[in-house]
Amino acid sequence: MYLLEHDAKALLAERGVPVPHGVLIADAASIPELPAGPWVVKGQIAAGGRGKAGLVQRAATAAQVSTLAGSMLGRVVKEKRVASVRVEQQVSAAEEMYFGLLLDAAAGGVRVIVSGRGGMDVEALPRDEIRSETVLPQQEAIVACVDRLAAGMAGHKAAALRAAAPLLATTFLNCEATLVEINPLFVKQDGTWLAGDAKIVTDDNALERQPGLRTLLAAHTDIYPEVALKLEHGFDYVVVDPEGEVGLLTTGAGLSMMLIDELRAAGLRPFNFLDIRTGGLRGQTTRLVTVLQWIAAAPRVRIVLVNMFGGITDMGEFSRLLVRALQETPALKVPVVVRLAGNGLAVARDVLVAAGIPMHTDLDLAVEDLQRQLAGTAG
Amino acid sequence: MIDPRITRETPVIVQGITGRAGRQHTRLMRDYGTRIVAGVSPNTSTSDVDGIPVFGDCKSAVEATGATTCVAFVGAFDLMKAMEDALQGGVRYIVTPTEGMPLHDALRVKRLVADAGAIWVGASTPGMAIAGEAKLGFLPDASLLAGHLGLMSKSGTLSYEAGFRLAQIGIGTSVWIGVGGDAVKGLRYADLVPFFAADAATRAVLVIGEIGGSEEEEFAAALTASRFVKPVFALIAGRTAPAGVAMGHAGALVHGSHGTFEAKKATLESAGVTVFDSLSKLVAGIRARMG
Repeated sequence: MYLLEHDAKALLAERGVPVPHGVLIADAASIPELPAGPWVVKGQIAAGGRGKAGLVQRAATAAQVSTLAGSMLGRVVKEKRVASVRVEQQVSAAEEMYFGLLLDAAAGGVRVIVSGRGGMDVEALPRDEIRSETVLPQQEAIVACVDRLAAGMAGHKAAALRAAAPLLATTFLNCEATLVEINPLFVKQDGTWLAGDAKIVTDDNALERQPGLRTLLAAHTDIYPEVALKLEHGFDYVVVDPEGEVGLLTTGAGLSMMLIDELRAAGLRPFNFLDIRTGGLRGQTTRLVTVLQWIAAAPRVRIVLVNMFGGITDMGEFSRLLVRALQETPALKVPVVVRLAGNGLAVARDVLVAAGIPMHTDLDLAVEDLQRQLAGTAG
Repeated sequence: MIDPRITRETPVIVQGITGRAGRQHTRLMRDYGTRIVAGVSPNTSTSDVDGIPVFGDCKSAVEATGATTCVAFVGAFDLMKAMEDALQGGVRYIVTPTEGMPLHDALRVKRLVADAGAIWVGASTPGMAIAGEAKLGFLPDASLLAGHLGLMSKSGTLSYEAGFRLAQIGIGTSVWIGVGGDAVKGLRYADLVPFFAADAATRAVLVIGEIGGSEEEEFAAALTASRFVKPVFALIAGRTAPAGVAMGHAGALVHGSHGTFEAKKATLESAGVTVFDSLSKLVAGIRARMG
């Protein structure tokens, strides 16, 4: 889960990391009491590159804050709607540094990255300024690593990194993060420091045992829709094209992604990605009906493609569930093309044919059938 | 060199054998030919499952049977503990089909696996198989045909589909390893390059990958560094996936230009790999070279 800056700063502040005083605004017409100015107004989306998109602006008066907040709220940047802005105190007379902790999947450790300069993308930092090492995912190892990396830096900069290290290591390990990045990390001549911007990405797999993160998620299900959905329903579903015409009822992340690629290559517009996990159906139609209702509510969907490769799941059982789920979803009024492979196909064919649904066993032929039906009902 | 081969004779322990998935897959693996000699379940009074003795921990199971290979059917939050138990008990080859293992758990376990010199396949893997011999996990029998293609895949279902279509035209696999879709995992594609280079039964290699992460790029580098001479094919899913959204597999998260389809395709091609963008082209391409 890629946290909003405001949420990330709240997590950091709880763990003792100094952050500029700030407030969150969701409505430009009702600005709460602001900390002392001047301010920076920052549009909150879970994505990088906000500065370039105009979502980080300075304000000298409360009127400017209100105007800027009004201009940012509701904008869509990088396919994400700005639903809130954070207004915080400007930091003056400070230098900018970089501090990042990144889960290094290939090496199997934590990559510690620091730089005496910051404020720009880490990729844009001068190579000779970056110091980096991969260490064990342990508090002491990370702190010791920062101590080594800070050696030789100017005194106030080294002091800031050493002060930040235990707090950021704790945040990274406690929150089960894959990324904790402070950029810029503001440092003053006396060694005091502040987290100027904060980017935290956490592991969705750990969410169930992270009550603090679950609380954040519950407050912002609109901002983290895929994560909220996975936690509530136990499967993965992503709308890939709100104007899409083909609803997909599929299992398996890789095969579902491949199917979307192939449908698009054939000039079709799939509406959604889905990994429903047939193993988790447990003889209930609940998951199937949930997804079919979402697809039925999509404005442009004209056909549904069901594609299941049952390695383990018996396709006879699955087809019975599918027929029941379709009966339980009267809102779905578009044709359904079914392709099944795996065990129990003879039974599956009988069940589907009795329900008036032809069954394909070859995926390419199913897609051709789908194209024919779409052409026949050209809207 | 890591050697992931097993045979019909390899004795295997199933962790979590008394659970629903454990029981079901124990039966299916046995039916395929896997020699399952013990089960492990820490809190059970069950003495056997289908005649397979059940032990309280891996140490007892290893001591009683001599098996050092195991498959773990346990929940995501219990997997780290189960793997610690396996490694401490003397297991040296672990396959973990569990989906949703927390990444920080995987980081810790990866270190333990390395320290023990063990092989770990997973998590989020459908398992591995030597077609016609034995399997660990639940690769579908319909996709398994003995042959000469070494297969590695992040995705289960996409590999079932590819393996099934290839089997239908008579092209089978020598060793099939589902490396799984997680970002932090045990075996990665590159780890198996030396094995596939040396394995006499493997005449070509198929890698089924997807966007995100750097595993395909590491694999390409390993091929080049080892001057790999057998033909290598690849299928990469997620060419049209939106950036920044994990599509089911935690590893399939694209940020910026890193880990994109185009980047992976270019890197693999520069290492001599033939990259396909659809299943039917993949099958036709492999048939032309191996059929």
